[in-house]
Amino acid sequence: MTVAAKLEEVRKIYRTGGVEVHAVRGVSLEIESGAFLSIAGPSGSGKTTLLNLLGALDTPSAGTVRIGDRTTQGLSARTLADFRNTHLGFVFQTFNLIPVLTVRENVEFPLQLQGVAERGERRRRVDELLGEVGLHGLAERRPGELSGGQQQRVAIARALVKNPTLVLADEPTANIDSETALEIMRLMQQMNERRGTTFVFSTHDPLVMRHATRLVRLLDGQVASDERQGGLRHDT
Amino acid sequence: MTPETLPGRLGWLATLRLAWRNLRRNKRRTWITAVTVSLAVLLLQLSIAVMIGVERQSYDNLINYQTAHAKLYAAGYFENREELPLDYTLTDLEALQASVQQVSGVAATTPRLAFQASLSDGVDQVACFGTGIQLAGSDTEVFRIPQAIVAGEYLRPGEEGMLLGSGLAELFDAEVGDWLTVLTKTRDGAYEALDLPIVGIVGTGNPVIDRNTFLVSLETARYMLDLQEEATEVAVRFSLGAREMATLRALVERVEQLGYEVKGWREAEADFLAFAAMKRLGSVAMLSIFVVLALVGVTNTVLMAAFERTREVGMLMAMGLRGGGVRKLFLTEGALAGLLGGAVGSLLALVLIAYLASVGINITALYGEMDIGYPVKDRMYAALEPLTLVVVWLATGLAAAAASLYPAARASRRPPVEALRHA
Repeated sequence: MTVAAKLEEVRKIYRTGGVEVHAVRGVSLEIESGAFLSIAGPSGSGKTTLLNLLGALDTPSAGTVRIGDRTTQGLSARTLADFRNTHLGFVFQTFNLIPVLTVRENVEFPLQLQGVAERGERRRRVDELLGEVGLHGLAERRPGELSGGQQQRVAIARALVKNPTLVLADEPTANIDSETALEIMRLMQQMNERRGTTFVFSTHDPLVMRHATRLVRLLDGQVASDERQGGLRHDT
Repeated sequence: MTPETLPGRLGWLATLRLAWRNLRRNKRRTWITAVTVSLAVLLLQLSIAVMIGVERQSYDNLINYQTAHAKLYAAGYFENREELPLDYTLTDLEALQASVQQVSGVAATTPRLAFQASLSDGVDQVACFGTGIQLAGSDTEVFRIPQAIVAGEYLRPGEEGMLLGSGLAELFDAEVGDWLTVLTKTRDGAYEALDLPIVGIVGTGNPVIDRNTFLVSLETARYMLDLQEEATEVAVRFSLGAREMATLRALVERVEQLGYEVKGWREAEADFLAFAAMKRLGSVAMLSIFVVLALVGVTNTVLMAAFERTREVGMLMAMGLRGGGVRKLFLTEGALAGLLGGAVGSLLALVLIAYLASVGINITALYGEMDIGYPVKDRMYAALEPLTLVVVWLATGLAAAAASLYPAARASRRPPVEALRHA
């Protein structure tokens, strides 16, 4: 089994107005490649902090976070940016697409950042992804012209276009209705199966939890339970 | 890898496209900023064009009526020129002029005799400068006095009379045909007085000529000063299209061998040139304050845009855009806002400058009898210089980018995790 990410005794302490907040307290977790993992827990349990640590958006106060074969501790902001650029994809609760760019340009953006200079190559990869997420006909639309579900599909395509080691999704179904949420989960499941991409979600949503093949529950910054499950499957 | 293909960096084209579209997000705000910048740039471009135009007119005026392109003196004269001494005169003028004429780029030469004098109408007496000029053709080949005659006519060869500066004529309330007494002193210190009729009145716009000078024939001057075939200077006009500095250098080489001094008009008028440079610098500095104020608007626009898009910046950084890329994006937005405003201002300025370059501004209507400090007559004209327009426009873009430095740096310093949390 290849390990996509590994957390060892990770702690994260914030100081807010002179008060120390222990957001994550000694979490150890090994995420295998191709996992479809959901991190669940009540508000304030440390889900988002853990996702930020896995996403190299933040570094731990103690312990180590290893993504692939590299730890994030002690890396400069610039190196972390390059690391995220190469290894990580993000799907946000509020989609966070660039409103002034078209769907195609939004998906193409990470490739430009990655230094894929050849326009034809970028276009080929973008078109392939847009086809997979079912948005081929909407490539020239702006995000504002799309529904919430369509925007989230664009965000998924954008996260996957650079073939990352890990895709991190923060409450990916929070801003869409239940029917669309189901579609989005099916889509991510397909991508996970078809491409073997590792997905890690933070969520409150039982629907997301049901789809995950592994469910990690956090409570007060600690792992309360770590269960492997079948994961709800759909015929595709 | 080229800069366009380095990971974590957005290429220039992609940055430009994104920056341009970002500017169009809030069109009203962008246009308000651009209009402010355009007004400041319009003012700056207009002022620079008028300044350059007036300076050029001044230089032409000095060359046409006072300094020529260069003047030859006997050794020691230039150092004491304020006193208009008669102890350092040029002799053997024909040979000297013939020698100078051979220098490449020299079009014409003429001898002149400058001296101190007083003019009197029997009631008032005014100290002024007299200049003896050669009427048999050569003075008009170097200077443009005939074109500046505002009343009467130019002196004819052999005619005894004077051309009086328009300011002096006003002072004496004199007209063509009136007589004035010229009082002067010979080299040996003997006083001479000569009554001469006013043949013409000269208005050049140059206060040195108009308010302080009268012109007589070289023969009359020599007669009053008790001098032989002498002159205090030989004025030189360069050919049209001749390279000024190269011609001057060649002239210096030729004449210094003969023991004379040569001074180009720039050296002779160094004080005026320094004054013009100071005035130019002062005016540009003052007008730049308007541009700076307009650029504060650019800072504010970029600051607001960066604040509104905090989460988006966090997302870009999450995707791997480095801080430098964020700075580049906002600096480009600022520069584009500046260039947009600068383009509008420069285009408006181009139209107005073209008008002012052909029609000019009536100085008397604008300033009355006030001395504007430049030897310019009647109208001042703007100089239409496309290169200056472009340079000022591009400089506005650069300055606008500089004005965006603070908001850009601020946006790029925020950790992505914080930016993503921004409500």
